[in-house]
Amino acid sequence: MQVFLQTLIGGVTFGAVYALVAMGFSIVYRTMGLVNFAHGSVVMIGAYAASTFYMASKLPFAVAVLVAITVTALIGLVIERFLRPLENKDFTLMLIGTIGFGAVLEAGAVLVWGATGHAVPSPVATGPIDLAGVRIPTYSLLVIAVAAAATGLLALFLQRTKRGAAMQAVAMDHQAATAVGIHVGRSNAMAFAIGAGLAALAGSLIGPMLYVNPTMGGTLGIKGFAAAMLGGFGSMPGAIVGGLAFGLLDSFAAGNFQEYSELVTFLVFAVIVMIRPTGIFGETTVNRA
Amino acid sequence: MKRLLWLVPLAVAAWLLPYGLGGYAIHVADVAIIFAILAIGLGLTMGVAGQINLAQVAFFGVGAYAVAILTTKAGFGFWTAAALALLVAVVFGMLVGIPALRMQSHYLGIVTLGLALAFTNWVTNAHIAGRAEGISDIPVPPMFGIDLSSGYLFYYVELVVFAIALAFALLVTRSPLGRRLRAMRDDDLAAGSLGAEIPLLRMTAFVLSGLYGGLAGILYAGLIRFVAPESFNIANMFLLLAMVIIGGRSSIIGCVVGAVALSLVREALLDASGYAQLGYGLVVVLVVVFAPQGLAGLPGQIRSLLRRRAGGSRAQLGPFRPYGAAPASSREAALEVREVTKRFKGLVALDRVSLTVPTGEIRGIVGPNGSGKTTLFNVISGFYDPTQGSVALGGRDVTGMAPYRLSLRGVARTFQNLRLFEDLSVRENILLGLDRTRTSWIWRYPGLPWKVLDYERSLHRRGEELIERFGLTDVAGAGPRSLPYGVQRRIELARAMAMSPTLLLLDEPAAGLNGEEVRQLAEIVRSIRDSGVTVIVIEHNMGLVMSLCDQVTVLSSGKVIADGRPAEVAVHPDVVAAYLGDSMSAPTEATAEAAAEEATR
Amino acid sequence: MHFTRFSIAAAALTALAACAPPGQSASSEANATGPIKIANVNAQSGQLSSLGQWEHKGVKLAVDEANKAGGINGRQIKLDLFDDQGDPTVGTNLARKIASEGYIAMLGTAESAVTLAMSPILKDAKIPSITSGQSPKLAELKSPFMFLNAPTSVTFDETLAEYLVDDKGYKDIALISNNGAYGAGEHDAFLAALKTRNVTPLADEVVTPDQKDFNANLAKIREQDPEVLFIGAEEVQSGLIAKQARELGVKAVFAGGAPVGTDVYATTAGLENAEGTVVSSPYLSNEASEEIKAFAAKYKAAYNEEARMHVAKAYDGASILIEALKQTCGEGGQKLADAIRGVKRAGLLGNYAYDANGVGIHETKIGLLKDGKVVPEAAS
Repeated sequence: MQVFLQTLIGGVTFGAVYALVAMGFSIVYRTMGLVNFAHGSVVMIGAYAASTFYMASKLPFAVAVLVAITVTALIGLVIERFLRPLENKDFTLMLIGTIGFGAVLEAGAVLVWGATGHAVPSPVATGPIDLAGVRIPTYSLLVIAVAAAATGLLALFLQRTKRGAAMQAVAMDHQAATAVGIHVGRSNAMAFAIGAGLAALAGSLIGPMLYVNPTMGGTLGIKGFAAAMLGGFGSMPGAIVGGLAFGLLDSFAAGNFQEYSELVTFLVFAVIVMIRPTGIFGETTVNRA
Repeated sequence: MKRLLWLVPLAVAAWLLPYGLGGYAIHVADVAIIFAILAIGLGLTMGVAGQINLAQVAFFGVGAYAVAILTTKAGFGFWTAAALALLVAVVFGMLVGIPALRMQSHYLGIVTLGLALAFTNWVTNAHIAGRAEGISDIPVPPMFGIDLSSGYLFYYVELVVFAIALAFALLVTRSPLGRRLRAMRDDDLAAGSLGAEIPLLRMTAFVLSGLYGGLAGILYAGLIRFVAPESFNIANMFLLLAMVIIGGRSSIIGCVVGAVALSLVREALLDASGYAQLGYGLVVVLVVVFAPQGLAGLPGQIRSLLRRRAGGSRAQLGPFRPYGAAPASSREAALEVREVTKRFKGLVALDRVSLTVPTGEIRGIVGPNGSGKTTLFNVISGFYDPTQGSVALGGRDVTGMAPYRLSLRGVARTFQNLRLFEDLSVRENILLGLDRTRTSWIWRYPGLPWKVLDYERSLHRRGEELIERFGLTDVAGAGPRSLPYGVQRRIELARAMAMSPTLLLLDEPAAGLNGEEVRQLAEIVRSIRDSGVTVIVIEHNMGLVMSLCDQVTVLSSGKVIADGRPAEVAVHPDVVAAYLGDSMSAPTEATAEAAAEEATR
Repeated sequence: MHFTRFSIAAAALTALAACAPPGQSASSEANATGPIKIANVNAQSGQLSSLGQWEHKGVKLAVDEANKAGGINGRQIKLDLFDDQGDPTVGTNLARKIASEGYIAMLGTAESAVTLAMSPILKDAKIPSITSGQSPKLAELKSPFMFLNAPTSVTFDETLAEYLVDDKGYKDIALISNNGAYGAGEHDAFLAALKTRNVTPLADEVVTPDQKDFNANLAKIREQDPEVLFIGAEEVQSGLIAKQARELGVKAVFAGGAPVGTDVYATTAGLENAEGTVVSSPYLSNEASEEIKAFAAKYKAAYNEEARMHVAKAYDGASILIEALKQTCGEGGQKLADAIRGVKRAGLLGNYAYDANGVGIHETKIGLLKDGKVVPEAAS
């Protein structure tokens, strides 16, 4: 039982991070029809930005994260300009184009920060909480809380603000949105900036949990993408549920199948997606690309 | 055969190449050829068939690992192991292809990528696969006393395999199978309605992928004689992907060029790094943005740029040459729709629709927008399964049959908003319709390739005849997208007729046509009817309906509200009410006659 | 200073006179002039590029020093770097490239799988190589042209087991390792060392090299409440395991090979989590001896970063090669291999004396991590 609960906690913590990554994938995809494989590398840039501000400038962690989100969102705007010709195109082109862009970001990170990477000290000093033998690291609680707050804020933004509503409209129907006077280009840029901001948030949260180096984006990107698909590509609630589901799948596979965990994770994933290709929440967006 | 003459100097050059290369350069060439074979496989699955397959490197690994395990652990000879390895790779290809039956695009991409990761994970763990350190000591392939451990001699083995692999890939792409695969990539629904068995074709694509991956893997095992998990990782998958995209994914030659070019670039980057990675990424992005068709597409891109500057020439439609009259063969009903209901999540699109169309009739189906006309077509042509009711063709029940089966039974259709294959020429669009073979026919490709060529030639002959009949000679080589709307309508009609149907379904064939074109259309449809084909037309142009159709069925809100001769139907009170309710002018007898006159003038 | 330079020049002169043999063939005469070409093959891109970059810096430092001091009998050493991308296939390509372009020796790689792939080709071409890999499989090859600049995992883990079981009397031991080439080698070697001592591990968890969340594995280990947790993984992953283990309340002493002696491990785990970790390594810290201190200072001056074991062993390997080259007057092949085997050198990692399997160092030292620094444990 203890092992089960402990595994659950690990799964949920990492699931929260996958959910943030998946949300970034999804918001970009639903708004502009771009499957952005460079997203993992954007997460990495976000992690570097946050940890550099946190460690070198001695900013408080929260401030460093905010700065990183801003910086990465700005970088996101630049990337969007570059990738704009790929939007709504053939998936193969998007795939290789964004992978190419990811390679550029990764090589850039090596040139700027070096290949070695660095560990980030945890911003939360207190020890883990002990609940009847099950240990919950305080930082995990922070990660889950921040991820939940970010999700809430994003939902508020999309549903309650004019800008957000405009983005929803673009997601539903490009042409109709243009017809009612919504600036689709601006809306796309904004979606990308938000996506990059989410990536930065995920990256900065994961920094103290892991280790920041130029190649960290690869696995996070693939797992975040798989999570988005599990939940239903393009759906925001789907991204959250998919993220948590993938985190749990991952951690239980690690516990039960040891070194074969990756094999089991991806086989189970393939079977689930086979049974329900649209994911848990996805229905309408499947034929988009 | 003259077209192949340019191959001779190329072959001689390839044959003589080793004499000009050093010991290391020949090894680079050997590796490049292996990647070229892999790229051909990926080009076939992804470029030609449109299946996003990110497991190609895993197929490669399966081939190499199977040889390694069978030779070092099971004691097989190299070539026996190679034959078995090819089989294993093909089976693995089919397993990975199963998800393609359920999903496409990025869904398929990530699932195949996941399965590739699963494969790498397995070889990293399994003792039989040598775990993380891999398997060394793969024996040198024996070959009648020739020492294949020499990179020079192995080059010739590879060259022969490569030539055969390339020739087979070209045969596939330039023949009925390749055309169907490309049609499936463009629009799988339309391809299905033309008789392409989509599930089988998708599996075929993955079998080809496994075949080429396995082949490359076997050569790899023979050349490097060492396998380890890292050689088949995602980074190499992306490299392979870049080769195919940069070379031009829909052209097999382009894939080969891309593979060779990137192999050489990768070679040049071995003693550089950092900035080189940056440059590599940038090149990929630039190619994708500015030359989406890759190197192979560049000549075409330049040509179209030049043509735009020179000002394009307007294509001319020739006159239609009528079919010879052939009286309808049987008197029984060509189509019988009985009590068909179709529901979409609570919305009733068709409500117990019954309809009988006798052979040799032109039946019009009219009704306000949203009355279920196209849904009815979709049920008849097999795109939708009816919720209730049955459909019979010539007395035989065909309810719920797949579109390709119905197509082979003589149902042909056109689409409301034109579904021509944009990436295929007009001629190829028509050849697709002419090709009536089942997909299982493809066993001839490995078995009797010359038969395939014979068949292709006969298709072309019949194709030219049909193109000439429909007056499309001037536009036969062009892409449909570049042609005027009226011409595209004519092409779609010709493509449907290429299938020699007994039942032709035309969904708004006159939409967007001018008066003269509508008149020609009526003439063509009558000739088609006279040749013994039953025609059902959905049309909003009342003039055309009145003058052309023998019988008219009126649908409203998914129900048949009237059925009868055009003149009777037009004054039926329910019909008038339905049209007024839809705030459209009711076709009175007077306007109907006037329109009919206009259409026939 | 003047004196040393003079003496080196003199030694070089006498050596030159001693080994210029009569009747050399034309081709080898061409080889005997101009710079001596040495290849350094290491990953400069991909997952393990940081290792590769350290290795290269260490090698370059040694070669630059040798060149500044007049090279090999007046001939300069030309060191060229090749990027193997951590991919064995690329490695085999490079092995052929090295063979065909007249390199007489190879330094690297840091990855056992790549080195294993390259080894047969280098053996055929009679090119000696000194690798930084430490997989026992490298020694099992018994290639006369393959040399290791560090002990194999067997030595690391035998020393560790001796300390933990024989000296400290721990019996409740759990293992966690990854299934990569390094982790699997560590796992097998440590398990074998325990077996000879009749100790059965309480838990034996295996993870993948990409894994980041060890809650499930560590919770199982915690149930067994071991005294020692052996970690067989690379630096970062070892750090993550240690951190998560402490967060879960695993109280065991951590133990491992060279990776757990690094600052990367200590900072990733967090200094207090890493406190007391038992390290088995031939290179415990930059302060372990006067020679090492001098080397570390030299390294810091050259690259403005702290020295570490990877740098030191690459430096040792390069120095051994240079010493052997001096004996053969820049000649390669069998002669160079024999010369390397004959080198006896007090290096930074210990005293090199090559055996028939190409292993030069046969012992490691035990250290304990204190405040992120390794403190040598006095031999008992």
